[in-house]
Amino acid sequence: MPRSKSAPKERVSRIVGSSVLVPKVTPKTFYGHGIPDIDANHLTGKLIAVEGADGSGRSTQIARLVQWLEASGHHTVQVGLKRSTLVSEELEQAQQGNILARTTLSLFYATDFADQLENTILPALRAGSMVIADRYIYTLMARDLVRGVDETWLRNLYGIALAPDAVFYLEVCPELLVQRVFAKNQSLDYWESGMDLGLSRDMFDSFLQYQGLMRDTFRRLQQTYGFDIVDGERSPDAINAELQSRIEAVLARH
Amino acid sequence: MRRLENPVVTWACIRKVPPVMQKFSDLGYPGRLIAVEGLDGSGKSTQIFLLKRWLEMQGLKVFFSEWNSSALVKSATSKGKKQNLLTPTTFSLIHATDFADRYERQLVPLLKAGYIVLCDRYIFTAYARDVVRGCPPEWVRGVYNFAALPDLTFFFKASLDVSLARILENRPTLKHHEAGMDLNLSPDPYESFRIFQGRIFEQYLAMSTEFGFLVMDANQRIEEQQGLVRRQVSKHIDLEQFRPTHAA
Repeated sequence: MPRSKSAPKERVSRIVGSSVLVPKVTPKTFYGHGIPDIDANHLTGKLIAVEGADGSGRSTQIARLVQWLEASGHHTVQVGLKRSTLVSEELEQAQQGNILARTTLSLFYATDFADQLENTILPALRAGSMVIADRYIYTLMARDLVRGVDETWLRNLYGIALAPDAVFYLEVCPELLVQRVFAKNQSLDYWESGMDLGLSRDMFDSFLQYQGLMRDTFRRLQQTYGFDIVDGERSPDAINAELQSRIEAVLARH
Repeated sequence: MRRLENPVVTWACIRKVPPVMQKFSDLGYPGRLIAVEGLDGSGKSTQIFLLKRWLEMQGLKVFFSEWNSSALVKSATSKGKKQNLLTPTTFSLIHATDFADRYERQLVPLLKAGYIVLCDRYIFTAYARDVVRGCPPEWVRGVYNFAALPDLTFFFKASLDVSLARILENRPTLKHHEAGMDLNLSPDPYESFRIFQGRIFEQYLAMSTEFGFLVMDANQRIEEQQGLVRRQVSKHIDLEQFRPTHAA
């Protein structure tokens, strides 16, 4: 699903009037202690997280949502994994070399997350913007959990995180994911195939098993964190319509 | 949708209860970890260096590891410090990443291989500094609870004035974080450093009993202290166990 095919022009033609909906300010909470000296009540924007594997249509959907939100008059800021000023380069290097053990990798990603949380997400929310997170702590937790990292430890670690106003998990079965990945790329990604887990020496097998584990973990996390599981096997239009109506409900929420 | 069954990883193998903190000896490791803690300028690095030399001279298996030294994480840490990008939370997490990298790739394998591992600063440094910077103590301790406790921890307790004098006479320019300037304690770096070190000192004192630190009087002469360190190490660790085994 190439990024370039996202955001068709006809989306915008739906917006006719000049009236702009002002979302109500709803209370926000951190999962744990949060960030020292940050009052969640001052965060007037909305935080929306989109989770899903590579090939789940995440990027396409996010690009469309941003178009739609901006056309509707909402200032929108995007964040995602490995995008921090602080550690993104180092994290990329470390992954290329595949030399980090699991706790280190987990903490490296947590640092990347914390940097974006403090320097991008919280300031944007304070300014009243919509923040779209191209994956949030749930992907990080799920990856660590399938690698045997202690769940209590992870919960404490991500006690710094703000609970989003909406979380959507685009669920696609591993068999369809693998087809979509090949439609876009020549080869499977080492980490997205969970090769570090030693599930199988065969990359195709490993990919299917790993993505199956990730999906099971997301379903389990869903029961704790209560996010929306969205059927990602439908057409991009159908998925987008569902996401838009769910986000509209969030914006109208009192 | 077909469900894939996986024989390797199951939820049952993931621990639900946080581990009680134990020493490496309690966990059955053949190696032993000795840590030194204290303020900058307390003389702890001198003491651990002399301890290392002594153990090496006897031909024992020794490894030395320093705080904030993982090659991989270091570039991010120094960038963060130079460009002043770090907050208390990211300061804490990036040091935890550094520690985890050394812990997982060096300390644990060496301790399994039966080495005496000497650490110039261990998790207590993070406990003290991060809490002074405003991170909740439970959170910091939770982040580091993947690590076992040292078998021996020496705390070099110098009076604050002595530590300050040693640092300030050798290095007249204080780095931003070293002086705790990020805490806005004082616009004067020297004054800020004094307050910051004073608060860290209080944290060390509070941990001293909790973690059974061997408290050293760091105002004593170097040789006196080293004599005590060596006696304590011989008393608590059976050094004969750490001779290398050579294949015949």
